[in-house]
Amino acid sequence: MAIPLTLGPSPTKGEGNRNGLGPSATIGEGKIRRRLAPCLVLLAIAAIPGLTGAADKKEAATPLSWAYRKPVKEAPPTVKDRSWLQNPIDAFILNKLESSGLKPNPPAERSVLIRRVTFDLLGIPPTPEEVDAFVKDARPDAYERLVDRLLETPRYGEHTAVYWLDLVRYAESDGFKADDKRPDAWRYRDYVIRALNRDKPFDRFLQEQLAGDELSPREPEALVATGYLRHYPDEYNAAAVEQRRQETLDDITDVTGAAFLGLTIACARCHDHKFDPILQTDYYRLQAFFAAYHPTDHPLGHDQDLEKFDKATKAWEKRAAPVKQKIDEIENAHREKGKARQLSRFIEEYQQIYFMPAAARTPLQAQIANLVANQVDKKDETLRAMSPETKAKWQELNKEMETLAGPKPKRLPAAMGMAEIGPAAPPTYLLKRGDHRQRGEEVAPGFLSAFDDREAVLPSQPPGAKSTGRRSVLAAWLTAKDNPLTARVAVNRIWQQHFGRGIVSTPSDFGIQGDPPTHPELLDWLALEFIERGWSAKAMHRLMVTSAAYRQASTVNDRGMSVDPENRLLWRAPRRRLDGEAIRDAMLAVSGRLDQRMGGPSVYPPIPAEATASKTAWPADSDPQDAERKSIYIFVKRNLRFPFFQLFDVPDTNETCARRHVTTTAPQALAMLNSGFVREQARHLARRALDETGANRAAAIDRAFRLAFGRAPEAGERQALERFRTVAANKGEQDTAFEDLCHALLNLNEFLYLD
Amino acid sequence: MDRSATPLQSPHVPLFASRRDFLLRAGGGFGAIALSYLLGESEARSNSGVAGAIGRTPHHKPRAKSVIFLFMEGGPSHIDTFDPKPELTRLDGKKLPASFGTVLTSMGTAGNKLLGSRRSFSRHGKCGLEVSDWLPYTAAYADDIAVIRSCWADGLNHVGSVCQMNTGSILAGRPSMGAWVLYGLGSENKNLPGFVVMTDAGDPLGGPRTWGTGFMPTTFQGTAFRPGSSPLLFLKSADKVNGDRQSRELELIQTLNERHRQSRPEDGDLAARIASYELAFRMQASAPEAVDLRSESDKTKEDYGLDRPECGEFAHRCLLARRLVERGVRFVQVYCGGGSMWDAHSNLESNHTKMCARCDRPTAALLKDLKQRGMLEDTLVIWGGEFGRTPMSESTNGRDHNPYGFTMWMAGGGIRGGMTYGSTDELGLRALEPKVHVHDLHATVLHLLGFDHKRLTYLYNGRDERLTINGGRVVKDLIA
Repeated sequence: MAIPLTLGPSPTKGEGNRNGLGPSATIGEGKIRRRLAPCLVLLAIAAIPGLTGAADKKEAATPLSWAYRKPVKEAPPTVKDRSWLQNPIDAFILNKLESSGLKPNPPAERSVLIRRVTFDLLGIPPTPEEVDAFVKDARPDAYERLVDRLLETPRYGEHTAVYWLDLVRYAESDGFKADDKRPDAWRYRDYVIRALNRDKPFDRFLQEQLAGDELSPREPEALVATGYLRHYPDEYNAAAVEQRRQETLDDITDVTGAAFLGLTIACARCHDHKFDPILQTDYYRLQAFFAAYHPTDHPLGHDQDLEKFDKATKAWEKRAAPVKQKIDEIENAHREKGKARQLSRFIEEYQQIYFMPAAARTPLQAQIANLVANQVDKKDETLRAMSPETKAKWQELNKEMETLAGPKPKRLPAAMGMAEIGPAAPPTYLLKRGDHRQRGEEVAPGFLSAFDDREAVLPSQPPGAKSTGRRSVLAAWLTAKDNPLTARVAVNRIWQQHFGRGIVSTPSDFGIQGDPPTHPELLDWLALEFIERGWSAKAMHRLMVTSAAYRQASTVNDRGMSVDPENRLLWRAPRRRLDGEAIRDAMLAVSGRLDQRMGGPSVYPPIPAEATASKTAWPADSDPQDAERKSIYIFVKRNLRFPFFQLFDVPDTNETCARRHVTTTAPQALAMLNSGFVREQARHLARRALDETGANRAAAIDRAFRLAFGRAPEAGERQALERFRTVAANKGEQDTAFEDLCHALLNLNEFLYLD
Repeated sequence: MDRSATPLQSPHVPLFASRRDFLLRAGGGFGAIALSYLLGESEARSNSGVAGAIGRTPHHKPRAKSVIFLFMEGGPSHIDTFDPKPELTRLDGKKLPASFGTVLTSMGTAGNKLLGSRRSFSRHGKCGLEVSDWLPYTAAYADDIAVIRSCWADGLNHVGSVCQMNTGSILAGRPSMGAWVLYGLGSENKNLPGFVVMTDAGDPLGGPRTWGTGFMPTTFQGTAFRPGSSPLLFLKSADKVNGDRQSRELELIQTLNERHRQSRPEDGDLAARIASYELAFRMQASAPEAVDLRSESDKTKEDYGLDRPECGEFAHRCLLARRLVERGVRFVQVYCGGGSMWDAHSNLESNHTKMCARCDRPTAALLKDLKQRGMLEDTLVIWGGEFGRTPMSESTNGRDHNPYGFTMWMAGGGIRGGMTYGSTDELGLRALEPKVHVHDLHATVLHLLGFDHKRLTYLYNGRDERLTINGGRVVKDLIA
């Protein structure tokens, strides 16, 4: 088990976001009216009753784009029942409830509440001891103390990271046909977990992901963060490299728009957005920030590590030189032939670009040359061109070299990250119908014209600069305090984590087609509070889960069901099913097997026997303990979602996912009933319950039940469980009866659903 | 779904349409709730896809109610099967005339010599369809099939093209055609999955996401049936827990779940999950029954070629396809040559001799079988790969990928048999007008199933997404 590379200290709160950003980080007033003229026409059409089903919605929403106006922090409204309020959130919630004639539910029981909040923040259940301690804690701030403790648990970062990874469609393989492994991708996953656990200010978190290489090129953490820009599915062996380049840029632009801005800008790739005031020019203005992209594996380490490595390599080369020269000669003699085979796949233009001297290439040609070279300059092609005799000789020489010079120094750990092709970017064009062959006008980097129609002011790069500095400017704009979207979108996602649905229920669509906010004033209040609190995500989690709204019971009443059956006004706590990852982790937690180790390369738990025939299946790790790591550490393979997760709605990693589906299917039940993994956890749970109760049968049932649900069984439940065990014992199944009973517990709705 | 009717409702989230609805369901007891959720009588719930059993209302009278898609993976050569090119034979060994312009191919074969077909073509059926001597069994059903010679697609490489033929886009992340069909029509059999995929020895390129749902709920995804008596993942207990023991455990689960639900009567998801256990339990019996061929006659087995080494495996899957459709499975996809086995970059003759022998007899037997049982009328059969092959040679005796012009055929389910539609240029390189893009094929399939491809939509990230993305034209001439 490799230990994750220790990276430099993370910036302390509030320090990071003023790190050499572009000159202006304020958002200019957009010419909303002028730009919106075409949309107004569309809206007028849409408003004709019966013409579109969405007409109603548009009237219900603040007309046009509430989301483009700067949030305004209004004082929390006054309410009748002030005694209910725990913090300002509640005033906004109660105000709406009161005006709809609804009353909030009474608070949830403590045992229910601790289970809810522990799963919400950590993705695992509380232990029976933790439940007891909380239930008995008479201090007035017992709950706040509990929340503080949970937020300091490293499991918090591991759990919350899942949703961020969904958004950035994190995966550890390329997708497409080859679906090659991305051996360094996991460092980005660990970066996200660390950032969350250390409560890295959210603005800094975004800036590092968009432009860490430009902002803090000497800081390994920031280089790893640029892995965000590498998660696009990739077909490295595509012959149509310009098309591939365009698809990559589209992908980065789309995901950035959805994840950071909460906008469906992808619609504007081919035409002006039909519903939102996003012009096709806007799309390519945004894309222009990424135009110089150059995927790079940054060696990780501090200066002294890099120096040490360089020194060692040079020394090795010196030792190896006499033999290496001979090896080089053989390789050189075959290299061209090896290349020719691959090169012939490309159109002539690309072949010429490939042979151009680097200095003569335009930035676009340099990108093309790289995409070609990735496929052509491969050592195995050179080896392939050798005759068997030559190859044998070559192998012999290699052995000789190792004997002489020792093994070559191992490469430094690397971040799968982003850099740029140089200080100048290729031009970006508006593409007709999104087709890279149909270039329209050239566009410069710029923002969304609906609320900021300036072109970006790009920094003048010093001589010898390695990049254009464009992404830093975009990062500054996105995280400027007056960007109307970034903070709203972020707090809405946190809200969704705790209330099952965002204040805007379409968390990556704050546009007109999206759902309008149920509590617009609350959303604004939270967004500004978030910024005032130094973009601290933990502060927002704390605020939300300590609200009275969150602490309510989930029970229903006729009044609530008839006025607001969907609970949009939050008169009750929503009941939710656990995510696929949490279902698995919860089983490991109650069986006592959850491996607490954090970070490092991903693990490969066994694939069910029936699926191992598939070529995409992986061989399981040899260390069975690896299969008991938390779900977030399971290898994410684009062409094979881990079967258990696939059944339980863990999303496809080719697209950004802002909100998971929750489906209920028979194959899920089959997995819970029949999979070897669930069986095994049942067995461990049974053994644990027996061990912890001195093999007292009645007590063991209670113990297993409390481990699974955090409460003791009621009389009726205990009776049913006892009866089950007696009947099984009478059938001669003494040995398996208790294990089956534990297996049944893991299958219960109460295990998968939170009240 | 008319969203204006319930202003508080958000897309894809189930809810009670009204207070009356809530009381009715809650009062109806467990059975009523579970059933209504799993089988779904209301359109309002269909987006949540509790069990995928829910249909939407078709836009017009459907001609087909199920689909069998025989996917020839790797790209069969249209020039050597259904699209004879005498001019190519004449120019054999010469270069592509300059008038054809620049051609971008996967392996850069545009400048290679042309390769005339070595096959002989003859006319079949009343319609006189020209089919090569590689497909004698299929040729016997010439009057039942409609051959589309002007297909074209966007991708140059396998994975993108397989992806597009399945999902409409060369980029991954969208729902497959089977998922759209299930989303539209729901399933007829509640003991079996509604969309079944049977792969060959190798998985198709792109793997399971080829039958995935992209941004749709996984309810609609294809279920891969594995060879052997246990076709579904987790169908059998890993610990060989016997039926009696499992029933008793199930009873305990359901008893305790029912207690739990009684204090939460409004929650349809809890009821649905209770019902899903009943379903799962039944599926353990119904799935093995569906794949058990013992009840099939020897004659049927002989027709399909079940015991023949050259085609036995594919025959097995074709016969299963019929049995599944018979049991109400909506969409069955059967791969022939999974993992790009039709991909004859070299040695076209030996590759296609083998692959045609693998697909020909079972395909014809499937048509015959469906016809005899009166099932062909409402079962749409589709045959084809992700693209065709070039008239230019590769490695002297093979052909490169050709998405610019290729052939697919369809039969049954409202298709006008005994016709050819469209054509390619004189050499078989590019489709000529009227061309049929993959989106047009998809639009036509949905049309036959009763859906307007522009109106069968799913709201994702603010856009009403559809199978045909921004394109699609129903090829009306193909419809009887």
